[in-house]
Amino acid sequence: MLNARWAKSGLAMLLPIVLIVLWQLAGHDGALAGGALPTPDRVWKAWLIWGFGTPGPMSLSPYIGNWIDAVAFSSFRVAKGFAMAIVVGIPLGIVLGWSKLAAALVDPTIQWLRPIPITAWLPISIAIYGISDFGAIFLIAIGAFYPIVVNTTQGARDVDKTWIRAALMMGASKIDILRRVVLPAALPAVFTGLRIGLGIAWTAVIVAEIVAVKSGLGYVLWDAYYVGRMDIVIADMVSIGLFGFMSDWAIVQLEFALLRWRRLQSFNA
Amino acid sequence: MSTINFTQVAKTYGDVRALDRVDLTVREGEFVALLGPSGCGKSTLLNLVAGFEKLSEGTMSFDGRPVTKPGPDRGVVFQEAALLPWLSVWENVVFGPKVQRISRAEYEPRATEILRIVGLENFHAALPVQLSGGMRQRVGIARAFVMQPRALLMDEPFGALDAQTRLSMQALLLDVWQSLKTTVLFVTHDIDEAILLADRVCVMTARPGRITRDIPITLPRPRTLDALTSAEFTRFKAEIMAEMRGVH
Repeated sequence: MLNARWAKSGLAMLLPIVLIVLWQLAGHDGALAGGALPTPDRVWKAWLIWGFGTPGPMSLSPYIGNWIDAVAFSSFRVAKGFAMAIVVGIPLGIVLGWSKLAAALVDPTIQWLRPIPITAWLPISIAIYGISDFGAIFLIAIGAFYPIVVNTTQGARDVDKTWIRAALMMGASKIDILRRVVLPAALPAVFTGLRIGLGIAWTAVIVAEIVAVKSGLGYVLWDAYYVGRMDIVIADMVSIGLFGFMSDWAIVQLEFALLRWRRLQSFNA
Repeated sequence: MSTINFTQVAKTYGDVRALDRVDLTVREGEFVALLGPSGCGKSTLLNLVAGFEKLSEGTMSFDGRPVTKPGPDRGVVFQEAALLPWLSVWENVVFGPKVQRISRAEYEPRATEILRIVGLENFHAALPVQLSGGMRQRVGIARAFVMQPRALLMDEPFGALDAQTRLSMQALLLDVWQSLKTTVLFVTHDIDEAILLADRVCVMTARPGRITRDIPITLPRPRTLDALTSAEFTRFKAEIMAEMRGVH
């Protein structure tokens, strides 16, 4: 068992290592693409300074020892916006899946607003909230909301009729049925929505920080590009990937714990 | 006193007449089997009593009152158990008492006892997917009995089981029923099953769904699986088979 897990981790690491080695070999004197891109060793050095360096009184670089701040700003924004999307999206999706009237009333509007990309919401967000934290959180919430509500609605709509009948027969009220039957039955679809929504949340936070706020990984990404620090740009991109991956992993762990019944049913168990 | 009463009941789906002028009375404590081919409306009849569907014509009452919605006074055992797959055996069985806000002190001993009777005392924590079809249906039966319903409505509960398991489930149901004497309406297409279990077998025909014969099964109680091979049993079987062939 343990060996199999190690083997799987080894396989997962193989491709990234090959890509990094090729990238390193393709460069000369720490640069490639005619000097536009740094090699991995340079990126790594810049990253270490960004992460653990101590700025002296004379240092001009803004990327010394403050990596964790950028990470924290972005992560908290994602967490807040994503939480807002969940708090609105899951209950609304359950109601839309359950009630034909509610669906007829609200669903068309959702489907019509949904194709508007979060980038198109930027002017409105800045007009209302200015260059503020909440403007970014608002964009993240909008971006993550759609996949969550659409998948939850689908999941709630597909609930087996006999489960509802069984619950009614046992004396369950409407609220009981929504909470104890429709929600758990929709949970596999809800998790699909959460994972897609979280991916969009990370896209949204970077876009928002490039345009609408002055902190976080997205801000550093664009700022570093302007001052020609491509080593920081790449270290920043890898950081986004890392934290996006870790937050997705956390959701997968939660899914794993909550949907044991579903896992036992599936072919690949 | 009659528990279930149908008077000239019809049920139509669009142009299709699923049930036509059905009269049926089930007395308190009686075990009545509805026997017929698939599509004869026997499940529809049961769904009307359960409150899952509404009748189109006629009147129907349960315990002297018209049925308006499903409720725990009528325990339903579904074709393939229809357990909630994310709940354990125990949680499935106590779902009813819980949503009815019955105190834990009251339902816990009852649920424990019923799970012991159906032979699942060691499976409280198992999920439905980890059980065999027969065990799942035992949970379905326990879930209905734990509510102490006025009547039990069983919709081909053993239809999906293999022959061996079906026999053991029939024996179990005979045991439980003979000690509790709950009113039972039992839908099946299996002639042997209907005769073995029921006090009366109502033979139904399809298109339109109608009860054509109501045959009292006078086999002595308490019954066991041995009844299946008795001479009297064979006589009932011959009579019912003639009836079913005759109307086809």
